[in-house]
Amino acid sequence: MIELSHVTKMYGNVVGVNDLDVSLESAAYGLIGPNGSGKTTLINLLIGHFRPTIGTVRVFGKTPTSHRGILRKIGLCPASDVLYPNVSALEWVKYLVRLHGMSHRESLVSAETALEIVGMTDAMHRPMGTYSLGMRQRTKIAQAIAHEPDLLILDEPYNGLDPVGRAEMTAVLKSWVAKGRGLLFASHVLQEIEAVTSAFLLIHGGRLLASGSASDIESILVDTPQQVVIVGPDAARLVHRLADVPWVDSLSMSAGRTELKVSLRDPAEFYRQVPKWIHSDGLSIEQLRASGGNLETVFESLLKHHRGEVT
Amino acid sequence: MNQLLLPLDVMVFELRRSLTIGRIAIWMMLIAFPLGIVTTISMAAKLKLGERYTAEHLTEPFGMAMYFLIPEVSCLLGLLLWATPAISTEIEGQTWVYLMMRQSGRGVVLIGKYLTGVVWTLSASLIAVALCCIVVGPDIGSELWWVLTKLVTLSCFVHAALYLSIGTIFYRRTMVAAVLYTVFVEYVVSFIPALVNKFTINYRLRGLLADWMKWDNARSQAEHIFGSESASMHLMMLALMVAILLGIAVYRVQRTEYPTQQEG
Repeated sequence: MIELSHVTKMYGNVVGVNDLDVSLESAAYGLIGPNGSGKTTLINLLIGHFRPTIGTVRVFGKTPTSHRGILRKIGLCPASDVLYPNVSALEWVKYLVRLHGMSHRESLVSAETALEIVGMTDAMHRPMGTYSLGMRQRTKIAQAIAHEPDLLILDEPYNGLDPVGRAEMTAVLKSWVAKGRGLLFASHVLQEIEAVTSAFLLIHGGRLLASGSASDIESILVDTPQQVVIVGPDAARLVHRLADVPWVDSLSMSAGRTELKVSLRDPAEFYRQVPKWIHSDGLSIEQLRASGGNLETVFESLLKHHRGEVT
Repeated sequence: MNQLLLPLDVMVFELRRSLTIGRIAIWMMLIAFPLGIVTTISMAAKLKLGERYTAEHLTEPFGMAMYFLIPEVSCLLGLLLWATPAISTEIEGQTWVYLMMRQSGRGVVLIGKYLTGVVWTLSASLIAVALCCIVVGPDIGSELWWVLTKLVTLSCFVHAALYLSIGTIFYRRTMVAAVLYTVFVEYVVSFIPALVNKFTINYRLRGLLADWMKWDNARSQAEHIFGSESASMHLMMLALMVAILLGIAVYRVQRTEYPTQQEG
């Protein structure tokens, strides 16, 4: 479905994406990375809006910049909002489908069907200026799926959706994936992607840090330096155990002596030893969690792995 | 056939979404502005000349005034607002990404927007010409109407292509670039008595005005303003300009990596 061969995109002296080299079969993938990581640049390369500075991009076996025909097979829901306030969703989606060269009749039927799928039938004749953010988001999804593409690319599709809207959107996307169609789902929130697919591409600083399932990525992280916070009334009693071992870099105790922050050189060894010590010493520990607990920490760990700082 | 009608569908969509109070007010201003000035000139002439006022003797002053006010000012103002920002408004509104994602998105949308600019401005300009001709009276109005109608039509098609190409090249500060070009090239260079003025649109339109109005005296006395070429030469040059300018615009829009203003 997608082949990127050593793709680099530069904006003057700034690197958009750096040496991306990956081949993806037709399936659902989560493209995850923090804001500014290169997700949108990658998407723009896939739809042929950007030409790679170095390398080649092929989608369905063709170069998107020179074969505009493949856009018929791709549906894109960009992160940007729709700003046609006095046009109805039906008019807009029909217009965009028509720009694929479909007839008026086909465009109308396709637009109505797509808007029905995203639950916009009741409001589709109203001007989009009267829509809530969630309704505009669903309309954006409708324009992406209306021409029945083989690959659907979504850039932060949950933006503006309330919990009910998110659940409905997840159902739509799961149904899309169940039909065996391709999906590339860009987000900076892991949980959003996990609800739809278990295959990830992790991108950071324009580089593809890791790809595979959640367990594949966990197996990379287990050998990567991490920070762990041990929380509990007996957290301080673990200090003497951890102070002497070679796989700990540093220890930091909180003022209340209930939180112990541990910088690990070998997380696997930590997870092997600490439960044993807690049990043998009869310690009361309430929580073990990654420091920061956010995706940025995971990315930092993966970045170290990617740079070869960890073997 | 289905594909050939696509630009017309873009035009219909664009005209439909332009039916806002602000846009309609501007459209009416394009009619009211030349009409008001021509009416004022006509009334002033009648007041000053009194019994001696005969429209036939004022064909040239009225013709020049109406030519300057409509094909050279009204048309340009309308097209500055419509054709110039055709792409930049989509980029600034972050809607360009939706259009260029379509198989026929880029070129067809550009041509559709070109036609929209032409139709929108031409409709206002033609009404302005008709009303101005009514004001100056039937004695000279009928002759002026036919010539100015042709000039307005040509002006809209050529200037729209010019502004569209400027808009695709300078997608940031588009209006500034178009206004500077208009003032410097179309209003200054077109009057320079040198080869360079032959490459301006207004020189060609003035040449056609003098030719079609049979102002031979004016042409002989001010050749650098009205030119000496035949009408067919002027028409051919204008057609060539449209083809080249639209070609540049289509090429630019197909090749340029316009910013999508998205993060991530």
